[in-house]
Amino acid sequence: MNNKYWNEEIETMPRKKLEQFQVERLKKTVEIAMGSEFYAPKFKELGITPESIKSVEDIKRFPFTTKNDLRATYPFGIKSVPLDKVVRLHSSSGTTGNPTVILHTQRDLDQWADAMARSMYCIGLRNTDIIQNTSGYGMFTGGLGIQYAAERLGALTVPAGAGNSKRHVKFITDFGTTALHCIPSYATRLAAAFEEEGINPRDTTVKTLIIGAEPHSEAQRKRIEEIWGAKAYNNFGMSEMCGPGVAIECQEQNGMHIWEDNYIVEILDPVTLEPVPEGELGELVLTTLNREAMPLFRYRTRDLTRILPGDCPCGRTHVRLARFQGRSDDMMIVKGVNIYPIQIEKILMQFPELASDYLITIETVGDNDEMTVEAELAQATDDFAMLQNLTKEITRRLKDEILLTPRVKLVGKGVIPQTDGKAKRVNDLRNNH
Amino acid sequence: MKTIKQISIFLENQSGKLSDILTALKDQNIEIQAASVADTTEYGILRLITSDQKKASALLAEKGHLVNLNEVLAIQVEPDTAAFADAIDALTQGGCSISYLYTFHKDGKLVLIIRSADIQKAESVAQAKGLTLIQGWE
Repeated sequence: MNNKYWNEEIETMPRKKLEQFQVERLKKTVEIAMGSEFYAPKFKELGITPESIKSVEDIKRFPFTTKNDLRATYPFGIKSVPLDKVVRLHSSSGTTGNPTVILHTQRDLDQWADAMARSMYCIGLRNTDIIQNTSGYGMFTGGLGIQYAAERLGALTVPAGAGNSKRHVKFITDFGTTALHCIPSYATRLAAAFEEEGINPRDTTVKTLIIGAEPHSEAQRKRIEEIWGAKAYNNFGMSEMCGPGVAIECQEQNGMHIWEDNYIVEILDPVTLEPVPEGELGELVLTTLNREAMPLFRYRTRDLTRILPGDCPCGRTHVRLARFQGRSDDMMIVKGVNIYPIQIEKILMQFPELASDYLITIETVGDNDEMTVEAELAQATDDFAMLQNLTKEITRRLKDEILLTPRVKLVGKGVIPQTDGKAKRVNDLRNNH
Repeated sequence: MKTIKQISIFLENQSGKLSDILTALKDQNIEIQAASVADTTEYGILRLITSDQKKASALLAEKGHLVNLNEVLAIQVEPDTAAFADAIDALTQGGCSISYLYTFHKDGKLVLIIRSADIQKAESVAQAKGLTLIQGWE
């Protein structure tokens, strides 16, 4: 049987019924979170009880939860169940303070695997696929999260892990891998590794890429699809919500369906914390509805997005999130102007003369902030005037987009620092940062 | 066409970059016939004519440099200013613009490496004017 949906009833549930479903799960989640030392006193103060919840609108009565709350209660302060029910934890790296810890019961892990399996099914992956995971297996949820989901789907799963591109090339070639899970910048680097071996990535068996965990533009996705001759689907997850499996694009590739049976979705003005007008850009705020070790209410993701209007031709009723427009955290204020790295990336990707890597450096020169954008050239030329004109044109287009004039520097291959983790895009060297 | 291949390499202004390129060529016994650098404070383009352009360009690309191959004219004249001037005159009168030019001495002659926006036209003008075009050295 080759159904279109992993869980047709849930995925195509009429909105009214879906909201009722959310209300029931929210009640249940409140009941569970009464066991949390963090939430119980807050609920008491605000008069929040399972019985007091009548509609999804009641979410507005709940307090917000932030990453700082997770840090302040490190490691187990928010848990809603005794530790003997907890079977796993995942943790962020904690480069800027205490790490954050997210706890899972066995049921949480099962539901997570099921949600991500649903996401894989949604982009056309089946148990006949061979899925190779390039995420690190460890505290990062992209490793085990994808592993269990792909196994749940019934696919042959290759837990290759992060780094060592040569090994990935060998596995893909030897095993006939049909789908890859990777961050977008790694999709490009792995393609380069194939080319180094004299293999065109388009000639491999890879037909699907699940990309996520790193902001990227539509142009970057198109470039990845072109290089690989494969479909690349934007996948969204965050460890606070479980990990990968929160939202994914369907085969329409127009917005990511967020699984609303598992989350209540709000798009709020990051300053006033009031809902933005329908369809406008705001911060994504999520409430978990299907977790028990550590439910989170109105968690401020810091991701900026909007809900796409209208119904999706795929038949799924769960709302679609637009491509993320950066994070409120990523926002740089340079000379009083709010700038997101993705704005710069979007412009750079319009130039076929450029490769995909870039680095934004901001420094204090005298009393001023100066921004330098280093952009990697895709190929050499003998034409000096062309390079000068290219620099000018990039500068002009960037100025139109971000309203200030950066210094644009063309660089060759390998100049922009790369790590096997996420690509560094911003280097803020200002005295006050 | 009676033209030769030129290698252009993108050079960011980074210490050691030029040495890397020269060392790589030396190690493979590739001889440089002529080199020219066009530069700003931020980057430059190194243009090279070597004893083996195919091998040199493949080698440098493999070393991670951005490399481009294109066609240029190599005009051989007597090693004096008068002959140099005559050659340029002939091209100018034939309506060819010169994008860039560099020279080197070889076998007692002066060789002019010339790039024109319309290289095919420059080649036919040079032929018509009786200039000696070189197609490569072995």
